[in-house]
Amino acid sequence: MEAPPVSVMPVTGGAINMMEYLLQGSVLDQSLESLLHRLRGLCDNMEPESFADHELVYLLKGQQGNPFLLRARRSLLHPPAPWHLRYLGQPEVGDKSRLALVRNCVDVSASHGLPEVLNEMGFRMDHEFVAKGQLFRKGGMKVVVSKLSRVLVPGNTENTEPLSLSYLVELSVLAPAGQDTVSEDMRSFAEQLKPLVHLEKIDPKRLM
Amino acid sequence: MMSGAPAVRVSIESSCERQVQEVSLDGLETYAPPLSMSQNLAKLAQRIDFGQSSDEDEDGPERDSREQWSKPEAEEDEGMVKFQPSLWPWDSVRNNLRSSLTEMCVLHDVLSVLKDKKYMTLDPVSQDPSVGKTPQVFQLLSKKKSLATAAQLLLRGAEKLTKSVVENQEQRRQRDFNSELLRLRSQWKLRKVGDKILGDLSYRSAGSMFPHHGTFEVIKNTDLDLDKKIPDDYCPLNVQIPSELEGSAYIKVSIQKQSPDIGDLGTVNLFRRQAKAKPGSQMWHLKLEAAQNVLLCKEIFAQLSREAVQIKSQIPHIVVKNQIISQPFPGLQLSISLCHSTGEKKNQRASPDKSKPDDHLYVLEHNLHQLIREFHKQTLSSVVMPHPASAPFSHKRLRMAGPMAYDKAEISSLQQSEGLLEKIIKQAKHIFLRSRTARTIDSLASRIEDPQIQAHWSNINDVYESSVKVLITSQGYEQICKSIQLQLNIGVEQIRVVHRDGRVITLSHQEQELQDFLLSQMSQHQVHAVQQLAKVMGWHVLSFSNHVGLGPIESIGNASAITVASPNGEYAISVRNGPESGCKVLVQFPRSQAKELPKSDVVQDGKWTHLRGPYKEVHWGRMEGRNFVYKMELLMAALTPCP
Repeated sequence: MEAPPVSVMPVTGGAINMMEYLLQGSVLDQSLESLLHRLRGLCDNMEPESFADHELVYLLKGQQGNPFLLRARRSLLHPPAPWHLRYLGQPEVGDKSRLALVRNCVDVSASHGLPEVLNEMGFRMDHEFVAKGQLFRKGGMKVVVSKLSRVLVPGNTENTEPLSLSYLVELSVLAPAGQDTVSEDMRSFAEQLKPLVHLEKIDPKRLM
Repeated sequence: MMSGAPAVRVSIESSCERQVQEVSLDGLETYAPPLSMSQNLAKLAQRIDFGQSSDEDEDGPERDSREQWSKPEAEEDEGMVKFQPSLWPWDSVRNNLRSSLTEMCVLHDVLSVLKDKKYMTLDPVSQDPSVGKTPQVFQLLSKKKSLATAAQLLLRGAEKLTKSVVENQEQRRQRDFNSELLRLRSQWKLRKVGDKILGDLSYRSAGSMFPHHGTFEVIKNTDLDLDKKIPDDYCPLNVQIPSELEGSAYIKVSIQKQSPDIGDLGTVNLFRRQAKAKPGSQMWHLKLEAAQNVLLCKEIFAQLSREAVQIKSQIPHIVVKNQIISQPFPGLQLSISLCHSTGEKKNQRASPDKSKPDDHLYVLEHNLHQLIREFHKQTLSSVVMPHPASAPFSHKRLRMAGPMAYDKAEISSLQQSEGLLEKIIKQAKHIFLRSRTARTIDSLASRIEDPQIQAHWSNINDVYESSVKVLITSQGYEQICKSIQLQLNIGVEQIRVVHRDGRVITLSHQEQELQDFLLSQMSQHQVHAVQQLAKVMGWHVLSFSNHVGLGPIESIGNASAITVASPNGEYAISVRNGPESGCKVLVQFPRSQAKELPKSDVVQDGKWTHLRGPYKEVHWGRMEGRNFVYKMELLMAALTPCP
């Protein structure tokens, strides 16, 4: 009955190395409606889900090398839902011909004591933000259209200020490494969203 | 004017429509005063171009000819006003007048020439006499020829007409195709691939995971033979469905008592009559619905056979060809088969169908369809969107498992969910148990007349549970003998019996158990009835026992017994009733009435006559009365002394 999809297998065991395939883009607030309309038509036969999440980004600074970064996220709309802790690796280098950004990804759901645990471990919160928007799904593809807001007073998610006049659009798939068909599917899906939004492979390092 | 022609006066006047100069606020219109004659003339004169002749733009030869004819009027002609044509409003009138005048002049000249007879005479044209004498053959030929020409003309016209009609029809058919396509589009998923139109008839969007692609192709059916009559059910749109989805299919579920030979397995081929087409629905719609049904049946069967192989049961399920065989109860076989007919062979196979009794369980077939749809819905709804949004798609409970520190038992309890096959087997068990219970009760009721057994089935049942109320009564005494009321809750594996007093007995699925139980209840009922009757008749209950420890041992349950004494205590009736041994009724007489009793020397005193005397068995079979309780009433009445 419940054939468990691959993604629910334990990722911590190291048996399956999950990768996140990602395409990103953005739309201005004015054109959000038409994009949502298009997504509703393209995505699976279900109503888009609204969400409001609070993300905290933690850093662990070691003696040398890059700091270790973890993202902790909790749902503001569903307070009892578990926290989600995520590690995202560096984008895979080389392979310029690859259609989507590919990076290592470890997902863990955690209880509500996560911030304390991270603090105890020596992590320090770097920044936090609130993301609100809509969530779509098409097969294994996840489309997140979200507005990012800055948290003005640390810890207070009521008091926020939008970061920009546009929405972030992310198309992502979680799959084991080396699945090129995944990125092809993503590319063809992204093609269907043009010209409402141009989803592209964006290297976060270039932006820094 | 012109030579010889009398002067014709043409009076020309402009319409006296006055121009509105202004409209005042109160609606009064002020007219501009009309131009006076002289003003008008001046205005017109301003537009005259004296330098240009209106004739100049006319054709050369025409002018020449006119000049020839109108030479005498040269002087007057010169005096005529020359106009600039386009500027003058009366220009066309003038031109027309002028040309008519020319015509008139010509006519006049011709007439005068003819009249003078100086240059020309007119004679009637002499008819050629030979024309009238044309030979008949020639006449006929010419007539024939002209008729043929006429006919040809007509034919050509007719051809043109038919061509246009055909074109019209062609266009209409094209339109029909488009409108049909629109209707198809409103009910089925379509997409365009290359130059083909493909549709989707699978249940994938409803949550099905069946790997069959389930696509059909839309075909344009417009190139008909125009000469032939168009059939009534003609439709410009046709659909082509995959060959494996053609025909009709259904899932046959049946429960059989004994297993057939192994050679019979997997050859179930029963076909139902094709449902008649509903009027007003399109051929393509019926075809697609049938194909979709075939697909669903295949999916159900595939799911069931997968589960049949996976599930470990004590008696393994057998999957052979298009049949799944399972044993819900020992000696009982549940067979689920996929019957798929491809249409052509239907007639040959329909015949063996009729000889066999139809043991198809429609309820279970329907429930299977319902279950697969529930299953679809579950797959759709089980994928809830993750919160927070960054979490991967998975079951919520699996995300909860870590943070909530679930142990293995909790996780497995969360994951536990029954498959289609398990559910349908449970339902089949229940249905079987229910029908057998009904049959047991019915056969008992028809076999045993006294006491009576009544069953009240509840109308609304769960798929796994139904209940029946069983009343055991005696005819004519329903009001006083209500001691035995049983509530039978029929489950999947067992029957729970709830007594009126709250006792609960659990019976297994064995038929004999229920039958024995009911028999013992019926036997107890008789004794209970005597007890109730005694109350009504004023007799006293001396002893009562549901389970007597004395006497012959019953194979089913226990005998029960009661002893009641008459109101004045002289007589006593003792009843022993066993489910197997039947009833035995004894009457105890007072000692005084016992004549055969030897006079004892010891008990001489009169008071001893009040002691009870010996028992005598009543020949119950010879008693009058239609049933046990009635007989008992008569007996009691006979033993009660008249007041």
